Amino acid sequence: MRKLYVHQLPIRIWHWINAIGCVLLVLTGIQIRYVGLIDVLPFRTAVIYHDWIGAIIVGNFFVWLLSYMFSVRIRVYHPELDPIELFRGCVRQAIYYSYGIFKGAPNPFHLSRTRKFNPLQSLTYQIVMLLLLPIQCFTGILLWDLSRFSRVVDMLGGVRVVDTVHVGIFIIFVFYIPFHAYLGTLGRTPLEHYKAMFTGYEEVPEDQEAEKSA
Amino acid sequence: MAGQSTAGQHRHSSFTSTIATVVLALAFCAGFAASAPPPGDQQCLACHQSEALVKPLADGDSLSLHISGGEFAKSVHSAFGCKSCHRDIDPARHPASASIASKRDFSIERAKVCSGCHSEQYHQWERGVHAALVRAGNPVAPLCTSCHSPHAVMRGAAQAMDTVPCQTCHGAIFTAYASSIHGVLRAGGVTQAPLCFACHGAHDVKVASAGEGLRDACLSCHSEAIARHQTWLPNTTLHFQMISCPVCHAPKAQRTVDLVLYDSTSQADASMPMGVPEFENRSGANASGLGSAALFELLRKLNGSGASSKTSIRGHLDVRTGVEAHQLVPASMAISDCNTCHKTGADAFQSVTVSVAGPGGIPIRYDVNKNVLNSAFSIESISGFYAIGATRITLLDVLLILALLGGFGIPALHLIVRWLSKQPAKRDDNEQRQG
Repeated sequence: MRKLYVHQLPIRIWHWINAIGCVLLVLTGIQIRYVGLIDVLPFRTAVIYHDWIGAIIVGNFFVWLLSYMFSVRIRVYHPELDPIELFRGCVRQAIYYSYGIFKGAPNPFHLSRTRKFNPLQSLTYQIVMLLLLPIQCFTGILLWDLSRFSRVVDMLGGVRVVDTVHVGIFIIFVFYIPFHAYLGTLGRTPLEHYKAMFTGYEEVPEDQEAEKSA
Repeated sequence: MAGQSTAGQHRHSSFTSTIATVVLALAFCAGFAASAPPPGDQQCLACHQSEALVKPLADGDSLSLHISGGEFAKSVHSAFGCKSCHRDIDPARHPASASIASKRDFSIERAKVCSGCHSEQYHQWERGVHAALVRAGNPVAPLCTSCHSPHAVMRGAAQAMDTVPCQTCHGAIFTAYASSIHGVLRAGGVTQAPLCFACHGAHDVKVASAGEGLRDACLSCHSEAIARHQTWLPNTTLHFQMISCPVCHAPKAQRTVDLVLYDSTSQADASMPMGVPEFENRSGANASGLGSAALFELLRKLNGSGASSKTSIRGHLDVRTGVEAHQLVPASMAISDCNTCHKTGADAFQSVTVSVAGPGGIPIRYDVNKNVLNSAFSIESISGFYAIGATRITLLDVLLILALLGGFGIPALHLIVRWLSKQPAKRDDNEQRQG
C-alpha cells in the first residue's frame, strides 16, 4: 500500500468547517422550525446561532470555490460529459454498493490524484456543491433579512417560495448528511476515509499506483 | 428735542389708548358673550329657548328647535351670532313652512354651513372615513353636528377625556382605551398621552389598522421604538412590517392573520383601494371560510390572461377587534417571548381573515379556514406571508420525517446486511484456521 496525497490542507479545513457547520445548521434549523415540539434552545438563540453559522458557511463556500477555481484540482469536479459513460459508471458503482460490497467484490473505482471521486460521488458532489449549497446560501441570505431583500423575494414569488426552497434543500441535507457520513466508513477500514480527511493521505494498493504511473 | 419729545409722547399715548381700546373691546365681547347674547340673537332665543319648540318632519319624526340660551352664551359660536350660520332665514317670513325630510337630511344640509368658516376641517372630513360612510349611505355616520353641538361648542371639549365626542359611537372602544396605559396616563393629567384624535386624526379620521397607519401612528410618538426593539428583536423591520403594535402590546387580545391582496408590480396594497368582489361572493357562499384550494383558484383567476399586474396575497398579524386594539399595556408587560407566536399551534394563527376594502377604506374581514396557512397550496396562494414554525407546510414535515428515516434507516440497513453477509466468510476463516 502506498500513501497518496489527495486532500489539500485548505480543502480539509473547508470540509470540516462545512461538515460541522451543516450539522449545526440542520440542528438549529430543526429547533427554529419545531419550537414548541423541541425546546433545547430558546427560539431567539437558535435564530442567532443559525444566522452566524450560516454566514460562516457562506464564507466557507467561497473558500472552497476559490481554492478549486484557481487550481488544477478543479478537474475532480469536471462533469462527465458523455452521458453513456456517466450512466455506466454510476450503475457500476451503485451495483457495487447495493450488491457487490456484500459479496466481497472489489470496489470498481480506483483512486488517483486527478480522480478522487467515484462516478456516483462525483455526480452527487456536483449537485450538492454547485447547485444545492449555493441555492441554500442564497435563500438563507434572503431569509436572513427579508425587508432588505424584499424586491428579490417578490421577484422569486414571495417569502413562501423562498422558504419552501430553503426547507426543501434542508430536507435533502437531512437525508444526505447521515448517508455521506456512512459512505465515509466504506473504505478498507471504517475510519480510513475519515483519517484521510484529517491527514490528506489516502492509502492505495501498489498495483493501482503502478496502473496510474503506466 | 422738545418737539420730538412731544411727538413721541403723543405716539406713546396713541398706542396706549389703542391697546386699552382693544382690551376693553375684548373684555366687553368676552363679558357680553358670557352674559347675554346680542339683541338680534335674543330675538331668536325668545322663541328657541322654549323646549317645546319642535318642527314636524316629513318622515314623521320631529326636530327639536330648542336652544339653551345659557349654553349658547358660553359657546365659542355665540360671538358670531345666530345670523352667521342661519343667513338663509328671513326674519320677515320666519318660521318658514319649508319641509324637512328627516333629521339626517337636515344635518347633512347644515354641514355645508359649517364649511363656510371651517373649510379646512370640512375638507379634511371629506377625505376621512366618516364622510366615506356618509356617502355610502350609512345612517349613523357622523356629520359635523354629530360631534360638535353647534349651539354649545366649547373650546377644548373635543380634547378632554370626559367630553371627547368619539365615545358617543365608539363606547366600547373608548372604555378599552380608558383602561389602557394611554387612557390611564391621560386621565392622570399627562397631556402627551394620546386621545382618539392623536392616532386617528380629528376630522380626516382614518382607520388606524388600514395599511401602515397604525404603525405610523404609534411611531409618531414612540419614535425610538424601532431602535429599542432592535436591541433584542431579530429582524425588527420585518416584525414592524408584518405585525401591528397591539399584537404584542395588548397581550390579552385575540390575534388573527389578516390577509390582503398585494400588487407585486406596483408593490402596493391592492385590496385596500379597490376591494375584490370575488372574495365577498366566495366567503358568502362558504360560511366556514375560504379554503386553501379556493384561495389558490382565486389567485389564478386574478392573475389569468389579461391581468395587467401580478396579484399575490400578503398577510400581517393583527388583533381581531378594534376594542382589543385599544387594550394597550405598559411596555414592560408586552409580549417579548418569541415562542408565543413561533411555536407549533400558536394562538396567533388559529384565526385567519381576508380583508377587502369597505367604504372609506374600512377593512371588512371575512373568515378564512386556518388550515390555509399550513397547506401546500399556500406556496402559491399566500406567497407573501410566513411565520417561522407556526405556519409551516405540513407536507414538508412529512418529507422531513421520510428524509430522517431514509438518511439514517438506509445506512443502518446497509450496515446490518454488510455485517450479516460477513458472518459466513468469518465462519469459513475460523474453520480454516481451526482445521
